[in-house]
Amino acid sequence: MTRTDVLRPVRDEKAPPRGRQPRGSATLVTGCVLAGLIALLALVSLFWLPYPADDTSGGRLAGPGGGHLLGTDKLGRDLFTQVMTGSRIAVQAGLGSVLIAAAIGVTLGVLTAFAQGWLDDTLAAFLDILIAFPTLLLAMLIVAARSATLGSAVLAIGLAQSAVVARLVRVLVKRVLAQDYITAARTSGTSWPRTVAGHVLPNIWPTLVVNLALQFGLAVLAEAGLSYLGLGAPPPNASWGRMLQEAQATFTTAPAGALAPGILLVLLVIGVNLIADGLRDTLDPATRGRRA
Amino acid sequence: MRLNKTFLYGTATAATLALTLTACGGSGSGGSASGGTWDKNATVNIGSLYEPQNLDNTAGGGQGVTEALNGNVYEGLFKLTDDGKVEKLLAEDYKVGDDGLTYTFTLRDGVKFHSGKQLTSQDVKYSLERVIADDSQSARKSNLEVIKDIATPDARTVEVTLSKKSISFVYNLTYVWIVNSQAKDLKTAEDGTGPYTLDKWTRGSALSLDRFPGYWGDAASNKRVVFHYYKDATALNNALLTNAVDVVTSEQSPDALDQFKNNPAYKVTDGNSTTKLLLAFNNRAKPFTDVKVRQAVSAAIDDKKLLQSVWGEYGKLIGSMVPPSDPWYEDLTKVNAHDPDRARKLLAEAGYDKGFSFTLDTPNYDPHPTAATFIKSELAKVGVDVKINTITSDEWYTKVYKNRDFTATLQEHVNDRDLVWYGNPDFYWGYDDKQVTRWVQQAEEASTTDEQTELLKKVNRKTAEDAASDWLYLYPQIVVASSKLSGYPVNGLNSQFYAYDIEKKG
Repeated sequence: MTRTDVLRPVRDEKAPPRGRQPRGSATLVTGCVLAGLIALLALVSLFWLPYPADDTSGGRLAGPGGGHLLGTDKLGRDLFTQVMTGSRIAVQAGLGSVLIAAAIGVTLGVLTAFAQGWLDDTLAAFLDILIAFPTLLLAMLIVAARSATLGSAVLAIGLAQSAVVARLVRVLVKRVLAQDYITAARTSGTSWPRTVAGHVLPNIWPTLVVNLALQFGLAVLAEAGLSYLGLGAPPPNASWGRMLQEAQATFTTAPAGALAPGILLVLLVIGVNLIADGLRDTLDPATRGRRA
Repeated sequence: MRLNKTFLYGTATAATLALTLTACGGSGSGGSASGGTWDKNATVNIGSLYEPQNLDNTAGGGQGVTEALNGNVYEGLFKLTDDGKVEKLLAEDYKVGDDGLTYTFTLRDGVKFHSGKQLTSQDVKYSLERVIADDSQSARKSNLEVIKDIATPDARTVEVTLSKKSISFVYNLTYVWIVNSQAKDLKTAEDGTGPYTLDKWTRGSALSLDRFPGYWGDAASNKRVVFHYYKDATALNNALLTNAVDVVTSEQSPDALDQFKNNPAYKVTDGNSTTKLLLAFNNRAKPFTDVKVRQAVSAAIDDKKLLQSVWGEYGKLIGSMVPPSDPWYEDLTKVNAHDPDRARKLLAEAGYDKGFSFTLDTPNYDPHPTAATFIKSELAKVGVDVKINTITSDEWYTKVYKNRDFTATLQEHVNDRDLVWYGNPDFYWGYDDKQVTRWVQQAEEASTTDEQTELLKKVNRKTAEDAASDWLYLYPQIVVASSKLSGYPVNGLNSQFYAYDIEKKG
């Protein structure tokens, strides 16, 4: 007798629990596709470009088509080549700034979280002052002190953002430190460094990662802003901000020069913001609870 | 966009190095009065990017103050016409002593200041002294420091004694405003003798002038002139399209012009400018101490292509520091013309057959980054590697102009008759040729303008052959005006914009 009464599973294991998850993953997927597209452009630009970066043979402000997908700029350089190089610079700027912001911000945030009394107030005020200081102004100071390179711009943006990260980390760590399991860990003899590494950081990282993703988008925008002002990557590096600036005067006659970097900039920033949104829905237990 | 003009104007004078900002020559004015009647009581609206910092041209007012007030509100003993000629204005006549050192000026009779006071020789003396005073920031200060003594034997006679001969003295006087010696405040108010009085200056937006009823000469062809100031060239063009302004004094990009060129409601004029874009070598810094390297770099760059990239069909190549409106102009575009093969050969002769690398200090505003990018790509073809270092105009002033801490740089030089800077070995580019220095000195002390012209032509040719700098191109001077207007100046607009002949049809 063959058994026909095989138990059916209660529900398909792969089916997500009803409610929040489809929304979260859809956002995440859209974000990944948008940002991935730019990342792909950046990657490809490392190995292949349609034209050499300094090839000026294209003719002044040629329209799209005719060997140039997006047309050419004033000097006759291929716009698509520049847009590709620009995406690499944007990704570099975003990653570099976020790494600096994370390294300084997390260290500073954890240390300040342990401060008590007047020291606590002073440090909090100090971080607030740093945040109130405009990113662009700080960046201009650093660029003036060093020189206008992509490195200076990334350093400046990273430093400015580290204050934001530090304040967030400080609050998050303080909240975790008040939890019973920390007291338990401490009373059982775990050292502070081990408590931080084993209990504190794992509990703050979902919120932290979401915030860093947002900072990535802001860093890309800030770099474009600095390059627009001539304070970012020096020419002939085709930063999107520089391309926008150069195309400004010819916007009415040759709009591709401004539209192409503009649209990609928007796509990348929307992309990473969607990723941040999706990550928050997926990772952050607090908001998941609220949304469910 | 041309931050540099205001910048050089202010800073150079602060360093008592008058990089003279002047008008340019050429010919003609904005269209003859074509048929129809014009309105004697019209208001002419002028659109400009250059708002004055204050209203005093000896206190760092910037180029905007020259544009709005020179010739309109204030007058000099002489005036520089739109086609570059020097004419008598408040001076009815003048005599030069046999030694070439004493100038006797007779003032025009019946000239009144806007406050009602008669013009006297005291006012002329006062005005000249203002320009050469210690705290003066006038662009003409160093040129006029040859003045040793000013005497006023009577109310209509001024006698000026120079410490040495200066053939440009009368020309330089076209930049000295004659102001009322009793005027209290010249930074926010005025008291001149021109065809207009200042009505109102609204900072950040507009400056209006009204016809002066007591003017000694022919009354202005319009009743009122308003200068409208814009920060952005696109906004300025839009103002012209919507009739908010009647004329734009100087367009900064060729690409916005199509919308006016194909429209019968507007006229586009292409006049002469004196603004040159220079790739300035530091002649004291290796490898540009070697004339062959300078020549090679000059020959490697296709100036024509650069000009077309930036200005489309506008602008000119000059091949030297001298624009066509200077009396000592010669077409030197063939000297060190574009020839990459010759460039490679010269580099090999200089011992750089494997090329070299240098840093190009590039101001961070247009058109310098574009030019730097182009130069980098051109020089790469002959094996020279260019590192572009973008700097702000302040940094340029400190690093390049004052400290001479540079190898090569890009800069706009706006002045007419500024070839003479190659005779100054202490100038920022450090060109030091004893013969050239002597020629420049002799030219200034020449007895006739022919002699001066002859000497400066030699200077021009020598500096061009030496590739003292690489003169990339001469800017165009583009004025766009409503077809209702005529009689506006088309050349000297970077610093002067005589509004009194403008006729506007009703």
